[in-house]
Amino acid sequence: MENLTVSIIIPSHNRSSSLRRALDALHLQTYPLDLIEVIVVADSCIDDTLAMLQDYKAPFKLQAIEVNCRSASIARNTGAASATGKLLLFLDDDIEALPPLVESHARVHRERPGAAVMGPYPPKLHGGTRFFDVEVRSWWEEKFYQMSQPGHRFTYQDLLSGNLSLDAELFGRLDGFDSAFGNCGGEDYEFGVRLLKAGVPFAVAGDAVGYHYEHETNNLDRSFRRSRQEGRSDVLIGRRHPELRPILQVAAYETAYSLVDKIVVAVTFFWPAAVDWLAQGLRESLDLLESLRMRGTWRWLRSKLRGYWYLRGVIDELKSRSAISSFMQGGPARAHLGGYEINIDLQQGWEAAESLLDAERPAGVYLYYDQLTVGHIIPQAGAEPLRGAHLRSILALHFAQPLAGAIAVNGLPRTAETLEDKPLVAFETYELAIKS
Amino acid sequence: MATAILDLEMSKLPPEIRVEERYSKALVLIRLHGKPIGQALLSLVGGHADGSQLRETLMNAAGENLWKNWLYDTLAWDERGPVQAMPLATVAVCTRDRPEDLRRCLDALMQNPDEGQEYLVIDNCPSTDATKEVVKNYPQVRYVREDVPGSSAARNRALREAKHEFVAFTDDDAAPDPNWLRSLLLNFSDPRVMCVTGLVMPLELETEAQEWFEWYSPHGRGFERRVFDGAQCNPLIVHLVGVSASMAVRKSLIDYIGLFDEALGAGTPTVGGEDCELFARILRAGYCIVYEPRALSWHRHRRTWEELRKTLQGYGIGVYAFWTRLFVINREFSVPLLAWGWLRYKQIPELIASLRKQPDAVPRDLLWAQFRGCFSGPMAYFASRKLLQKIKGSNE
Repeated sequence: MENLTVSIIIPSHNRSSSLRRALDALHLQTYPLDLIEVIVVADSCIDDTLAMLQDYKAPFKLQAIEVNCRSASIARNTGAASATGKLLLFLDDDIEALPPLVESHARVHRERPGAAVMGPYPPKLHGGTRFFDVEVRSWWEEKFYQMSQPGHRFTYQDLLSGNLSLDAELFGRLDGFDSAFGNCGGEDYEFGVRLLKAGVPFAVAGDAVGYHYEHETNNLDRSFRRSRQEGRSDVLIGRRHPELRPILQVAAYETAYSLVDKIVVAVTFFWPAAVDWLAQGLRESLDLLESLRMRGTWRWLRSKLRGYWYLRGVIDELKSRSAISSFMQGGPARAHLGGYEINIDLQQGWEAAESLLDAERPAGVYLYYDQLTVGHIIPQAGAEPLRGAHLRSILALHFAQPLAGAIAVNGLPRTAETLEDKPLVAFETYELAIKS
Repeated sequence: MATAILDLEMSKLPPEIRVEERYSKALVLIRLHGKPIGQALLSLVGGHADGSQLRETLMNAAGENLWKNWLYDTLAWDERGPVQAMPLATVAVCTRDRPEDLRRCLDALMQNPDEGQEYLVIDNCPSTDATKEVVKNYPQVRYVREDVPGSSAARNRALREAKHEFVAFTDDDAAPDPNWLRSLLLNFSDPRVMCVTGLVMPLELETEAQEWFEWYSPHGRGFERRVFDGAQCNPLIVHLVGVSASMAVRKSLIDYIGLFDEALGAGTPTVGGEDCELFARILRAGYCIVYEPRALSWHRHRRTWEELRKTLQGYGIGVYAFWTRLFVINREFSVPLLAWGWLRYKQIPELIASLRKQPDAVPRDLLWAQFRGCFSGPMAYFASRKLLQKIKGSNE
């Protein structure tokens, strides 16, 4: 198996020094450098990015493309269009790749051809107890840890384009990122939906690590702007994929929970400027709360403000209350309607159930144990079809009690030889089966 | 009225229990396939209990944990994710003039399967050579002497001396179970987990003082694995997290969080609080701490009433010294609320029950000792810092 050629695509917007760091880190890649080409797409840069690229001495083929679109998706598509490699590797300009990054991506592609492979890019900053830093760092770390678990069920929100590789041919076949998303982000999630619909498996390359210099660009104000962009992009995703509408956060604003939320939502539609002003004031009070170390209140207020700016983003796209209602009514009533479902008899043994799931790849499962019903794994919109690897943690976390009861009544499943040396403890006696 | 300590496997229960006649009851650690799932107090008649009564008691005590763990074993599923290769670790025992306890601790540690771990004994301000002589009998154990007094100074020395990324700490008066180290280390697959604490059970309950201690302030924190996530929970509430007598940390903690505060801990005027302070700092930085009941260790509680009183007084001092540090240095202004909560919901009701001589009330002298400790805690912290500066200054 010869090594694949890799095209690394780095979109960049006025971050010349960060971009230089990202390029410098690529010098140390363990992958053969003659198989790597790097394409920097400089989008509307008014700093010295282009001059820096002119003078940059690289041990790999380096190409600079200038675009003026202010849109990450168009920049990435432009870079992909002029790529010559078999693999496309999208890398953000604030990520410092560790030496094995490209090699790990290529290895996972050899093991699992045709997959969309993501590498972790945890924040560079490890210390720091500022509330916002703590929140951001734990979010990213948790995300990558969950994604790297073998039993993880991928959803469209796991497609992160900061460190993503896939076959150039596949990217072309799916028409790349959606250029309609402009500068509001979310184009990666939408691409994830299309990948899952096309049956593309997601994978994580655990060693393809890059350090993310998140702290240089991210702060509270920017995160609220991001929330507003999320609101906009969620509407766009919902427009393209109506079946996702019930699970988008937009649904929460149609019927707000508490009275205060209801009032705020109503006033926002009626007189947004006033609530914006209030939100600005509350954003200032976040700093006060932090200086008083009022963590709980800070977290509560921050989530409220994020929700508010998200709503503002939704209104940017949909304009009015009736538009939100008709938007929601345009999709299915519930997220788990339809989809391919099968029945599984768990008494045939876990291995049998797992191989059945791997063969069938259903969206949902009706679980039985001989004649007894154990439960129903409900189909999930925007998630990959079930695999065998998902089964045990789903059973353990969601169906422990009915399953234990069913085993108590009907005896152990077949082919559980592993347990033959372990005598049955809790279920030897009939009376206990009734107690439990 | 001593209590026997039994360690029983649920799938291999003995037909009857026979212990020495002086035991009127037994504290049973219940295991299922080796994993601790609960504890039960079994009453004995003349040191004897029959099998059916035993089984009934244990099943009721283990409750839901029994069938849940049994099902997880049947599924071959583990909440910690798939088992990975064992990382290399350093085991550090911090000790001070307790050669017999240390010998028992090292004997127990040698029962842990050899997976390339290194052993350190940190001898803190020894008054004799006894500790050094004990360590000579164990060729795998490296002896290090630390002359700055205090358990935190000893632990910091251990962290600096450790060769490996993971450092497990046990106290010299504890005896870890053969699976102790493995069980701690298997929780570190998540990079956010900075620290893992374990279950601590009493090694013996021979005297009334030991029984009171186990009843009033047990070291164990239950039989459910818990993850404390600093980004979600209140990082100042750390009494549920565990104890430093059985814990493991990452060595990179030094860079991200910092070392133990050497003004806190046994051997300094503050007597304790160094573990609470470190747990709080880990959580405040948004990392996680896992409480892992599989990592079992047996702790010898203080035998005499006088020692018990001093221990509880020390807890009072330690907690208040730790809160003082949080309030003064970390500017955590919600500390008075925590202090008020402890007073209002635990200390005052206990005191009232004790004054009314209710059955099962905590003896008054123990409560007073704790109050005295709480009262002197804040000053002890400042005194300890002064003393530390003096010691460090004279060493330089």
